[in-house]
Amino acid sequence: MTARAIRVLAVNTFREAVRDRVLYSMVFFAGAVLVLSLFASKVTVGDHEKVVRSVGQGAMDLFGCLIAMFLGVSLVWKELERRTVYTILARPLPRWSFIVGKYAGLMLTLAVEVALLLALYTVLMAVQQHVPPPVVFVSAASLLAKLALLTAWATLFSTTSSPVTAAAFTLSVFAIGNLADDIWLFGRQAESEAVQAAARALYWALPNFEIFNLRAHAVHERAIPWERFFTAIAYSAAYSSAVLGLAVVSFEKKDFK
Amino acid sequence: MAEVAAIEARGLKKVYQTHFWERPHTGLDGLDLTVPAGGVYGFVGPNGAGKTTTIKILMGLHGATAGEARFFGRDIRDPAARAVVGFLPERPYFYTHLSARETLRLYGALSGLGGAALDARVGALLARVELARFADVALGKYSKGMLQRVGLCQALLHAPRLLVLDEPMSGLDPLGRALVRDLILEENRRGCTVFFSSHILHDIETLCDRVAVMVGGRLRGEGTVASLVGDAVLRVEITLRLGAGAPAPAGAVVLEGGRARLAVAPEAAEAALAAASAAGHTLIEYTPVRKTLEDVFLDEVERARPVDVRRIGVLS
Repeated sequence: MTARAIRVLAVNTFREAVRDRVLYSMVFFAGAVLVLSLFASKVTVGDHEKVVRSVGQGAMDLFGCLIAMFLGVSLVWKELERRTVYTILARPLPRWSFIVGKYAGLMLTLAVEVALLLALYTVLMAVQQHVPPPVVFVSAASLLAKLALLTAWATLFSTTSSPVTAAAFTLSVFAIGNLADDIWLFGRQAESEAVQAAARALYWALPNFEIFNLRAHAVHERAIPWERFFTAIAYSAAYSSAVLGLAVVSFEKKDFK
Repeated sequence: MAEVAAIEARGLKKVYQTHFWERPHTGLDGLDLTVPAGGVYGFVGPNGAGKTTTIKILMGLHGATAGEARFFGRDIRDPAARAVVGFLPERPYFYTHLSARETLRLYGALSGLGGAALDARVGALLARVELARFADVALGKYSKGMLQRVGLCQALLHAPRLLVLDEPMSGLDPLGRALVRDLILEENRRGCTVFFSSHILHDIETLCDRVAVMVGGRLRGEGTVASLVGDAVLRVEITLRLGAGAPAPAGAVVLEGGRARLAVAPEAAEAALAAASAAGHTLIEYTPVRKTLEDVFLDEVERARPVDVRRIGVLS
């Protein structure tokens, strides 16, 4: 019964997202960037083919993150504000299933968005250069693992704050998460042991989004770094579950106004 | 064996405190309530009496600070207890991107229904609330009254044993209110227990077997409507045709057409009639006025007010 409720809520969240014109605009814009990269390569110096691949990979990453944050920061808040949650939670389902269902629906939306952009990228590459090697698809899977973690953070903030505050928090986590390796390096180079310990603690507590970055491998069409890929998947699964767990704990305690 | 109550609450309490520096506010103060299975139960009280708080706790939307409650003997903290309950919040809100049909399919699926049986049930309910023509229109285009009807459909979808309705007639036109009244009675005839809060005391009086009166987070009265209002006569209203040239009785209101109306205490009615007859007036109407639920309600509200507030009220 709970599994069925999660599926029903996920499908509804997906349906709500795909009926949102803003999502279409963002996906359209991402597609346009991919297509325009073909022309941009003509006016750049250097390896034209790599420019196209680099812009394509970057566009998929950027728009994936933007859509995850845009939809994620209002994912739960919107339900509370519009009070749609009243009649949903009056059904025989545990509260945690609501959070998991909403999250799963947003992940389904992001998976479809990444798949659409990947299909467009593949077609463009096949026409312009050659059929992309498997590393491109592995890189896209790694991107999805990154989006899973980012969405979990956005969902957590969405259960506790308004979209503006949640967006500010999510953006902060995203920015820090992209600097995680620098925090590690900073800690190693620091002379004070206290600073080193603080940097290490910060590094392990905050997400490291760089771990998911296989874009360079995809652009330069290198061999698939399987070990790094599976580490990233495991990291995302464990970390996303923990963050989603916090969102559930916060949601369980809530009194709906 | 005694029949298990549809709703049983014991010592239900809710204290609100948003921030630790704020003074706690008691929304519900140790509510003991038993709603027998099979009847229509009214839950009345002024704004802030704790009606919606009680309903939100029962439906798992608020956590109780203390106490416990059960639906048909099952602890409300167990989500499965809600499987036999249909709920309509005070102002139902739905996903505006869905049509009425899609909405009801969603709620049906969340209640474990599906397939052709669900589709048939959705169609029948939409026809019952006269929304069949608009079944595939997005709810974003619905009026408040139409949304209330969709709300009723989602509450009835899984043929619940208990209906919990928070102000179901609120904001409805007379036709909508009549429809809700009919649905409450239909569901009750089917064997469903109905528990509903309302400000419209006439509806409570005509629909309910039992009533609970809430004031200031506490239960102030509970029982059948008859036991609450009693059968004592409050006053007698006498309408007279005035005799030619005879003055109207003292305290009477003179009406058009040579008539006058007089309100007297029950024990003074006989003497008033005799005096009127002696003065040459003719009796047209004699109406004993009994206590209504509204009188009970106002008495309880007045009794619950702090003494100093009552005095200020009298002085002003």
